[in-house]
Amino acid sequence: MLFHLVKKDFILAKKYLLFMLVFAVIGPMFIYSKLGFDNGSFTSFLITVLFTEYILFNMVSMQEDKYRGSALLCTTPHTRNGVIKAKYLFVLVIFIGCFLLFNLAVAIGFSTGLARLNIYSIGIALLIISVFFGILIPIQTKFGYEKTKYIFFILIFLTPFILPTIIEWYQSMNFNINFQLPLPQTVMVWVPFVISIFIILISMIISIQIFSKKNL
Amino acid sequence: MTTVLDVKNLKKELDTFSLAKVDFLLKEGCITGFIGINGSGKTTTIKTILGLYPRDEGSIKFFGKEIEKNEYIIKNRIGVVLDEGYFYEDMTLKEMKSVIAPAYTNWDESIFLKYINRFNLKLNQKIATLSKGMRMKFALTLALSHHADLLIMDEPTSGLDPLIRNELMEILLDFMEEDGKSVFFSTHITSDLDKVADMLILIDKGRIIFNESKDELLDRHALVKGDNSLINEHTRRLFLSLRQTAVGFEGITDKLDVVREQMNDCLIERPSIENIMLAYVKEG
Repeated sequence: MLFHLVKKDFILAKKYLLFMLVFAVIGPMFIYSKLGFDNGSFTSFLITVLFTEYILFNMVSMQEDKYRGSALLCTTPHTRNGVIKAKYLFVLVIFIGCFLLFNLAVAIGFSTGLARLNIYSIGIALLIISVFFGILIPIQTKFGYEKTKYIFFILIFLTPFILPTIIEWYQSMNFNINFQLPLPQTVMVWVPFVISIFIILISMIISIQIFSKKNL
Repeated sequence: MTTVLDVKNLKKELDTFSLAKVDFLLKEGCITGFIGINGSGKTTTIKTILGLYPRDEGSIKFFGKEIEKNEYIIKNRIGVVLDEGYFYEDMTLKEMKSVIAPAYTNWDESIFLKYINRFNLKLNQKIATLSKGMRMKFALTLALSHHADLLIMDEPTSGLDPLIRNELMEILLDFMEEDGKSVFFSTHITSDLDKVADMLILIDKGRIIFNESKDELLDRHALVKGDNSLINEHTRRLFLSLRQTAVGFEGITDKLDVVREQMNDCLIERPSIENIMLAYVKEG
């Protein structure tokens, strides 16, 4: 049943889907050509996936907010838990889609220097996506699409003012967070995936709790 | 008769409204009309029963089972039509169906297509382009296509013309022809219930005022008309509601025997459901 709720999200985002599919292929090549530093492949993939996920997710959230379709879904055997789980699965499916299309971009733009990502880099990208949506989804579940938009707008607006202070404070404290887990390298590369799953699960539990108390 | 829905001590507090200890039973094989004026608590009750509003207190049992522990089984046996539809309007009918249908274990595509044809709906049409009547018909099609035993509808006739309302009533009667089926629907247009309802539940200000069979209710009450000279301090108390004009009085009573005994020369008529509803609502 979860599959059909994810399919529902893709139907809601259908207007943007073709554009985002094209962007997921062209985006990494374009961004990579503009970045002039090492590890540009990873950065171009991360920016592409973040942008694609954010556009598609918000497109769906906007329509959910407008039509309140989850009320109808929850009168059917689709449960409240299912509605929330499908949101996370939707994000994960887009991530996998972006990764596959990134490989297509690599095949097309190989001569430009765009390279395949190793497992560790994919894991780090997934971790960043998990943190971002792990925060966004519970907030949006609690406050709705419109209010969350303003919350994130204020946060983004405040970033240039607050971030330099935080960086200065961080540098003055001389933290050293380099540490090595007593694990073999073959296992270490999978650690970001494990942390991502952990973050997604915690975030999902919080969202389910919030949604279970909501009047639909 | 088996109980299909048992609601006990249901409480729900909203910002500007509350349900206070709502109790009622629905019996199998009955069409139950849930009546009340706008803002009386009909939608809040239905949404709370369906779990769209988490309840504060009380118990809700469908077919003898608690909904929390048996959500999947119970929801497979219920068909729901909500007042505002809650459809994703940018979807086509076909797309909307492709989201709803897989949720049900006993979805019947042939029934779905039968209703689509009966209502002249087009599967590739966008929901946003449907009229209110067509939207209700589509909601009904979705609700009837999985062999539901209990149909719950919130104000399905609101804003519809008499022709479509009449068509809906006929569909309900068709639905009831099969054994083991029940209907619970809220409305403030009580004339819809005259033909089809077996039971009536009146809600006002979040409280259940009565829950009884339509025939008993109509037999128990009377519309009394007569000259103003018949109204005095004592006889006034016999009425649930009383309206006096220069030409006479008109009132609803549930003390028919006493009225017959004490008020000669008055005209006694069978009331409509609306007469009775308004009498109780005014009294409250």
